Amino acid sequence: MVALTNMPSAMDALVQDDRVHRTLYTDAAIFSAEMNKVFGGTWTFLAHESEIPKPNDFIRKKLGLRPIIVTRDRNGAFHGLLNRCTHRGATVCRQSAGSARRFTCPYHNWSFDNTGALAGVPMEDAYGPNFDKSSLGLGRLRVEAYRGFIFGTLNQQLTDLQSHLGQAARRIDEWLDRWPGAKLVVRNGAHRLICNGNWKLVFDNSADGYHPGFSHASLLRMRKDRYGAGVDMQWVIGNVDDGLQTVADIGNGNTFLDQRQEIKRYWDQAAPMPGEESYAATMRARLGEKAEAALDVVVGSGMNLNIFPNLLIIGNQIQVIEPRSFDSTYLNWYGTTLEADDMPPEVNSLRMRLQEDFPSFGEPDDLANFEECQAGLGIAEMEWVLTSRHLHSGKEYRDANGYLTGPVSDELPLRAFWREWKRLMTSTVPQVAL
Amino acid sequence: MTMPSVPMGEGFTLDDILRDTLTSTYVDDAFYAKLRNDLSEWQGRGAVLTEQDRERYESLILHENWLLDRRAFEKWYQLYSRQCVYWVPAINDMPDPVRGDPQRQITIAFDDRRRMGDRIVWLRTGVAYSQLPPSYTAHTSSGFVKVPTGNAGEVKIRSQFIVHETRAGHAVQTLTGWMGHVFVMEDGELRIDRKLVCLLNADVNQHNLTFLI
Repeated sequence: MVALTNMPSAMDALVQDDRVHRTLYTDAAIFSAEMNKVFGGTWTFLAHESEIPKPNDFIRKKLGLRPIIVTRDRNGAFHGLLNRCTHRGATVCRQSAGSARRFTCPYHNWSFDNTGALAGVPMEDAYGPNFDKSSLGLGRLRVEAYRGFIFGTLNQQLTDLQSHLGQAARRIDEWLDRWPGAKLVVRNGAHRLICNGNWKLVFDNSADGYHPGFSHASLLRMRKDRYGAGVDMQWVIGNVDDGLQTVADIGNGNTFLDQRQEIKRYWDQAAPMPGEESYAATMRARLGEKAEAALDVVVGSGMNLNIFPNLLIIGNQIQVIEPRSFDSTYLNWYGTTLEADDMPPEVNSLRMRLQEDFPSFGEPDDLANFEECQAGLGIAEMEWVLTSRHLHSGKEYRDANGYLTGPVSDELPLRAFWREWKRLMTSTVPQVAL
Repeated sequence: MTMPSVPMGEGFTLDDILRDTLTSTYVDDAFYAKLRNDLSEWQGRGAVLTEQDRERYESLILHENWLLDRRAFEKWYQLYSRQCVYWVPAINDMPDPVRGDPQRQITIAFDDRRRMGDRIVWLRTGVAYSQLPPSYTAHTSSGFVKVPTGNAGEVKIRSQFIVHETRAGHAVQTLTGWMGHVFVMEDGELRIDRKLVCLLNADVNQHNLTFLI
């Protein structure tokens, strides 16, 4: 294991401007440190508000490896609670989701309300006259939400969520506002995948515009052989840096891959999906011209918006990275629907089927490649992973808002990730539960 | 494209699939209503098969297993009707017509005839890295029962299964649960119209389910 006694100088050696050390992916001590310092040291995505739609709803999640409960209290306010009894340490909530005003630890029946306050202790007298229940509530995260996305942190000095998201908040707006007034709903199940590779291999990939023409050869070849040119993702073939896609560092480790300039008509360039012709015909017959705008919001947004360290907004889905160990990761692709009075219901029937496409024919090949990365990175004598693409090519520029932007195969997003990762790993800001 | 020789001899080939069913015209509200009704009917009390039913239905399911285990996907595709579905829900404790409604829930697999074809073409590209090396399976099915149905011209058979899967360099995976097969007659042949695969642990994270169950 890497000695972490002097974290700043160790990290300077491991994270360099143009390369990073393999042990960042393979070392158990580094993994253990980042689960505490990265997850929770910054605003970290916890859940979407539609997963707990009503007062007193709750859902179990993870903050790094910490088991947590995200709740709404009776007034509808969100809370992030550490799922750990203040008595002997057992988890107090063992159900994955539901509705509860109280969580009662099954071990000795200490019970906590859904804001975390300790509400009841059996045979309390035995703790003596100075027993202070008000100091023995569940550990609480600092929690804020931006347009339904609930984030938490243990860093009490961090700026507010919206300022922290900055440009990423504008991109979330663009992602959500494709159908004015529509509400995003994240209650339609999930593709739950396992990758036996480090969690950062997943984040590394999500703004990697270099890989699709190669790692997704199977999907591209299948599409072309059956449907010819013009369908989904054909813009990733060839020299992508001559195309219209870009990547950008939008601050605080957040990155953005923009495919929108390559998409002339979302519906026409959609991946094939069950119900495609039948529902399009129904909608066009009933809605006439208006059907076209609705068909476009069936399809992904042409955006890969990566919110450090665990939220990937891709297409019309949200992916959440759940690290398990230095070489195993859960990757959850949540299905999403849109709710609006004027939303034709067929849109959501089609979205269910479209959202199965990439997790079936695209993502598995990436995950296989990440697992092979993990295998290769285990070789001690080969120490470095390159992050230098387009670093010195002169192709990077500041966009209209001042954010560093590059051609789509630029490894700029890797460099942005590692800068933020190193900053958090060497931070001396204390992390405390409220 | 790369086309490894098709096992199991003559018959339908990859070229036939490339040209077959390039649109998706039958998955609509009525189709989903039929699937929700199926989920209710699958809860019915099954009866063990008569000798005649074993010869017709159990034999076809065992033949399907054999074709999948031999990776004879093109022949497998031929067992299915023109308006078929191969469906693997992503929730536990099936059947539940509400929680399991595929019109409102994403699934591990929901392949109409076109997507079944896509999947086979994809498996055969030779560059699906999640299938290099390829998966080999061994299907075991038992507990075949006939479940009552109100649908004219259809027969519903429920069975229990265990599938072992191996890819070189990876541990053997074991999948288990139950399946529902809906049979119809089409062009004078017995065909599978709908196959439902209910995994015991469909709701938890899964490692590389890119093979056919």
